[in-house]
Amino acid sequence: MRGGGRGPRGKGPRGRVPGGRGPRSGPGGMKGGNKVIVTPHRHEGVFIGKGKDEVILTKNLVPGESVYNEKRISVQNEDGTKVEYRVWNPFRSKLAAAIFGGLDDIWIKPGAKVLYLGAASGTSVSHVSDIVGPEGCVYAVEFSPRSGRDLVNMAKKRRNVVPIIEDARHPAKYRMLVSMVDVIFADVAQPDQARIVGLNASFFLKAGGHYMISIKAKCIDATMPAETVFSNEVKKLQADELKPAEQITLEPYERDHACVVGGYRMPKKQKTATAS
Amino acid sequence: MLLLFETPGGFAIFKVLDEGKLSNVEDLGNVFSSAESARKMVKLKAFDKFDNTSEALEAVAKLVEGTPSKGLRKFLKANCKDETLAVADSKLGNIIKEKLTIDCIHNNAVMELLRGVRSQLSELISGLGEQDLAPMSLGLSHSLARYKLKFSSDKVDTMIIQAIGLLDDLDKELNTYAMRVREWYGWHFPELAKIISDNILYAKSVKLMGNRINAAKLDFSEILADEVEAELKEASVISMGTEVSDLDLIHIRELCDQVLSLAEYRAQLYDYLKSRMNTIAPNLTALVGELVGARLISHSGSLLNLSKQPGSTVQILGAEKALFRALKTKHNTPKYGLIFHASVVGQAGGKNKPRIARSLAAKAALSIRCDALGDAGDNSMGVENRLKLEARLRSLEGKDLGRLAGSAKGKPKIEVYNKDKKMGSGGLITPAKVRLLSLQPLVLSAIVTYLYCCFVQTYNTAADSLLVQTPASAEDGVKEKKEKKKKKKKKAEAEEEEEAKSEESSKKKKKKAKTEVEFEVEEPAKKEKKKKRKHEEEETEEPAKKKEKKEKKKKKSEA
Repeated sequence: MRGGGRGPRGKGPRGRVPGGRGPRSGPGGMKGGNKVIVTPHRHEGVFIGKGKDEVILTKNLVPGESVYNEKRISVQNEDGTKVEYRVWNPFRSKLAAAIFGGLDDIWIKPGAKVLYLGAASGTSVSHVSDIVGPEGCVYAVEFSPRSGRDLVNMAKKRRNVVPIIEDARHPAKYRMLVSMVDVIFADVAQPDQARIVGLNASFFLKAGGHYMISIKAKCIDATMPAETVFSNEVKKLQADELKPAEQITLEPYERDHACVVGGYRMPKKQKTATAS
Repeated sequence: MLLLFETPGGFAIFKVLDEGKLSNVEDLGNVFSSAESARKMVKLKAFDKFDNTSEALEAVAKLVEGTPSKGLRKFLKANCKDETLAVADSKLGNIIKEKLTIDCIHNNAVMELLRGVRSQLSELISGLGEQDLAPMSLGLSHSLARYKLKFSSDKVDTMIIQAIGLLDDLDKELNTYAMRVREWYGWHFPELAKIISDNILYAKSVKLMGNRINAAKLDFSEILADEVEAELKEASVISMGTEVSDLDLIHIRELCDQVLSLAEYRAQLYDYLKSRMNTIAPNLTALVGELVGARLISHSGSLLNLSKQPGSTVQILGAEKALFRALKTKHNTPKYGLIFHASVVGQAGGKNKPRIARSLAAKAALSIRCDALGDAGDNSMGVENRLKLEARLRSLEGKDLGRLAGSAKGKPKIEVYNKDKKMGSGGLITPAKVRLLSLQPLVLSAIVTYLYCCFVQTYNTAADSLLVQTPASAEDGVKEKKEKKKKKKKKAEAEEEEEAKSEESSKKKKKKAKTEVEFEVEEPAKKEKKKKRKHEEEETEEPAKKKEKKEKKKKKSEA
């Protein structure tokens, strides 16, 4: 009887045994057994792993499991408990690329409620779910059935992800599933994405809430130069009460991509009375 | 004015208390910033809870399409007499208006109201706190997602993986227990172990007999064959085993019962596995069989994972240790893994086994993709592929037979010795003839016409001299080798075929005993002769001309 099924044995990553004493492993030059020092990032819920290379990590909500075969790092605390972190690949996730790029504030923090538009197979969503932790909630919207299937499978393991297989253009269709959220993250790659985000914000984003949009210039208009596309998008957002606060480019991880972060229905700042 | 609000727990109707504020849409948002002011604005009038998840799923699914479900309609009829209803979806509003004659409105003010209510939901609906809503929302979203993705519980491949794992475990356990019975009872009646080799029969006999003294009196005809029974009865008399007490025999009998029930359950499990495999992966089952198919799925982890693998991987799934060892030491990689146990591969022999394994793996990969990602639930594709494979196996074996049977004239052709020529099996037989047997007539005619279109030449008497036997065949061999290297096998075959044909036609051969296979090829060859009598001479020209060119090339390369 050749090779009975003793669990999924693939020809993929081999020798990737997690757990055990001491920190180890990582992407880009890191191999098993390397020492990695884990420190908290400026953003709450994100961590930095310093080995030969620097990587960003999120604390694994489901220890012992990889969502998309990413590397995991196990660290033993002083009191003997083990904590597992998952490596966040900026080449695969726009959010990770934005963090690497140096955003001031991502607004996604432990306990937050996030509406994630364009969830795809759930690779980035899993990291957001790690950050918000068990108190927070991630409403992941994805229209494609193929990716949706992977998303639902991922959501079965993580109880703070609510999978929604609907078109993000019609938030009315999933209004019974979503409560008011603190942050909207949009990675939909559609020409009318500003309108989509505006519509979803009017339904679900709380006043004073924030949004993050990843804009792909080629997707909006392939003929115009990227800068023009970005400024046009920002204007459209402003028209929908989505006030942009910062914009960064996602180079070197993505070409002609930008990430715009801003607030929705921000309360008007009281002008301090100047002493006359 | 009333407001319809949908929650994961049920439908809520709110009464708008202060309709004056609706005119100022901007400030409406501020009204809901605190619970107190929110309560002054709207009040919960009625709440219709979903009774169970299936009702919730149905109601929400209908809502997504924009139609009200029965429960919603009843609820609205009961609570919305003579009032306008504010709804979130204008399409829904239209249908409500039509069916229930309740006026519905949908505008910016309504949207703001809904926003406000949503933000203060737990305050406005007293029985529904945050912690209640969250799991309801999660459950509902999963049900809805499953409904959308047309999840069917029949098609879950986890069952297969678990079933095959259990089957393997059962086999091991069964074997262990059976060995234990043999050993234990062997104290009392050692000869029985050698007489009855099958585990199940052994257990049955022990159960029936108990103490070996009873063997002579009892009838074993249902369990054993007559000679075995006779042997047993003989041996029981002269056995050299020790005596055992009744209590010990009771326990041995219990163990036998266990063995028998396990064996029965294993049979049932196998049937279950077969039926599941036919439901989940009918094409794969038709191609390789239930057991091999189940092992492949279990090895990959899921049907979807298996469908992502290319055919070459499917071929050597299960032989990873040998594969990576061979890759590291730069040796030959294994030719088959789990696929070795498929019946088609078992039927093939010798050199054809790896060939069939590769073809089977390729077709299996296609069938798996059809099962995992396609919609059709029948096994038509798998059956078709299996027929193709069996035909290929027959043709491969036919080729071998032809090679072994010898050449056209009934005796092997003697060739001029060429030390550089690589010989396959049957070195004395001209390979040209072999390929003659395997080429399809249609392909042949196609190539002939193509070649004719390429070289239209006049008949050259001088070229006839090249059609002499021995030098031609020598060139045959060398040319063959070179063309093999160029990977233009078919063309080479066609050319040689033509040479062979032209040789035949020019030689005016005498009819001698021929093999069956050659008859088939003779007929199309003859047909072509009839069709293209005019071009025959030109045909003989082409290979001749080509041979000349190649001779010159060879001489140049050698020089």
